[in-house]
Amino acid sequence: MAETLLEVKDLKVHFNTPDGVVKAVDGVSFSVDRGETLGVVGESGSGKSVTCLTALRLVNLETADVSGEVIFKGRDLLKLKNDELRKVRGKELAMVFQDPFACLHPLYRVGDQIVEAIRTHDDCGKDEAAKRGIELLAAVGIPRPAERFEDYPHQYSGGMRQRAMIAMALVHNPDLLIADEPTTALDVTVQAQILELIDKVKQDFNIGVILITHDLGVVSDVAQKVMVMYAGRPVEVGSRDEVFRQPLHPYTWGLLESIPRVDQKGTRLIPIAGAPPSLIRVPTGCPFHPRCPHRFEPCDKEEPELVDRGGGHPDACHLTIEDKKRLWDERESRRAGKVAS
Amino acid sequence: MSQVSTTQLEETRPADQGALLEVTNLVKHFPITQGIIFRKEVGRVHAVEDVTFSIKPGETLGLVGESGCGKSTTARLVMRLLDATSGSIRFDGKEITHTNRREMLPMRREMQMIFQDPYSSLNPRHTIGQIIGAPYSIHKTEGEQRKKVQELMDRVGLNPEHYNRYAHEFSGGQRQRIGVARALALRPKLIVCDEPVSALDVSIQAQILNLLEDLQEEFKLTYLFISHDLGVVRHVSDRIAVMYLGRIVELSGADTLYENPKHPYTTALLSAVPKGGVEKHLENRIVLAGDVPSPVDPPSGCVFHPRCPKARIVSGNEDEVPENCRNEMPPLDEIDRSHFAACWYPIEEGEKLHQAAHA
Repeated sequence: MAETLLEVKDLKVHFNTPDGVVKAVDGVSFSVDRGETLGVVGESGSGKSVTCLTALRLVNLETADVSGEVIFKGRDLLKLKNDELRKVRGKELAMVFQDPFACLHPLYRVGDQIVEAIRTHDDCGKDEAAKRGIELLAAVGIPRPAERFEDYPHQYSGGMRQRAMIAMALVHNPDLLIADEPTTALDVTVQAQILELIDKVKQDFNIGVILITHDLGVVSDVAQKVMVMYAGRPVEVGSRDEVFRQPLHPYTWGLLESIPRVDQKGTRLIPIAGAPPSLIRVPTGCPFHPRCPHRFEPCDKEEPELVDRGGGHPDACHLTIEDKKRLWDERESRRAGKVAS
Repeated sequence: MSQVSTTQLEETRPADQGALLEVTNLVKHFPITQGIIFRKEVGRVHAVEDVTFSIKPGETLGLVGESGCGKSTTARLVMRLLDATSGSIRFDGKEITHTNRREMLPMRREMQMIFQDPYSSLNPRHTIGQIIGAPYSIHKTEGEQRKKVQELMDRVGLNPEHYNRYAHEFSGGQRQRIGVARALALRPKLIVCDEPVSALDVSIQAQILNLLEDLQEEFKLTYLFISHDLGVVRHVSDRIAVMYLGRIVELSGADTLYENPKHPYTTALLSAVPKGGVEKHLENRIVLAGDVPSPVDPPSGCVFHPRCPKARIVSGNEDEVPENCRNEMPPLDEIDRSHFAACWYPIEEGEKLHQAAHA
């Protein structure tokens, strides 16, 4: 049995704004084991980034309304004092952000920024820290690491900056790495390099990874477990094969069908009608019901719980498992028919 | 996207007669200068290098490549937003490479552009009516502007009652619809779409792609469609040109390109795309070493040779590439019927590259 690193229980993050309460995250529970990659997928505003920022306590608890538990290796991060938290953050729990252009200080050498990260938690000399920093740059595949250590961020390409960010996240051998859209700003060939690197790092260092992305393709490549989010809550959680072979939630179906595929001929795309809801006025009942083609009686009144309805993995949709299987098969064959014609 | 018959496709050459847009040997260099009073040129960014293609009426040509490969510069050259260093651009039979502003103005009715970023391409101080109506004001068309704009809004799926709203009141997808309506206002023949869906979420992206498809059919539009997303490009294009470091390295019918790529770069690019679903493609993935070289100082010979896995198979040595790859840029040759690739050692059908790349 793998060690559970992070367990999030019924996390809610609400922000008070002049326009009303933004329910950015509204009841999210999940766990990550050592040696496992959890992919969190959803569109902009689905709450995937806020969930992870809150897990690191990077949202201001004084302005945001946070409830629930974030248990990391037996401690609730939301209840830790600031100085205790500082010992965890960056050391046992590290994060890689989306934009490698904005996350490195342009006026400091990359090497100095890595040394700073090392010396924040380890009481070691500058030379030793530099030596470790160069080793790490080599470990993340930066050529001529000793020379590049002295470079400024603008001398790095996008892919190299993201590698440097990953190196910086790894300086203290963290147990859990959270990567928030690590490849969104990168080209596909570089994206392939970075995804391979994250996978390698996960195995070499035996850590857990949370990968936040809007790209289902990225998730299907590297994640073992997938959580699909919509309007601040998970709508489906399962292993990668379960979610891609037998998706249970109509939102997941919509996502899968609206992506033009590289490996299939152009057929008419089936978009999800409408647009994601405002998080200030989330629809009653199931938040997806206004856009769902399969809505019926209870959908606008009762919010479905995220439970296993016999489909093998939990989902939050009122349809029965028989209906889901039938509808998904129908949609698949309709799609296959279009491809053939 | 449109229905171009196979006979039409087979006759297509990289640049040929009867095309709506013909681009021949197009080159764009940006000078890098030093000094304030005495500016001297110290280098050049080779943004677009010897690009040749044509687009038939009603066709969609996809232009793919990674950032910095020159696809957007090509679009701007075609729109005459930039002046070409050399080469020729013919639109609807007329040479437009060096026409001046005044002569260009009536031509601009026929060619419009949809931009990538729906946030920065709409003036925040103008109402939607003003934004979509701007082409009518500039070109002083007859008839009642408001009515025309509202018809357009209705056509692209916006509520015509929102005529007096401002851009910030709309979501990303709706803003892109505004951009589409503006491009459509003068009923152009050619629309250059520069990454029109890259800033949108997937569910919205599909709506915009379907809209573009419908409009093409309804108004007999011709698209030059630029994107870095290979899935999107395959979906919309009849033919596709792949660019690398300012050059077209492969040009063919969309399905041919995806099923049977000839250039090693195309092969690597396709294999790098994460495929939604459970297909095990990771074993076949070619991860290219290194980064795209700088266009200021492009490699000698074939621009792809420093990263090319195929050249290393041919030489039989991981650190060596054949001499002609190092010394001479291969021309864009017709390898199969209407399938062009610029490679000395094109990929054979069924040939695999990934072992070499990982060795």
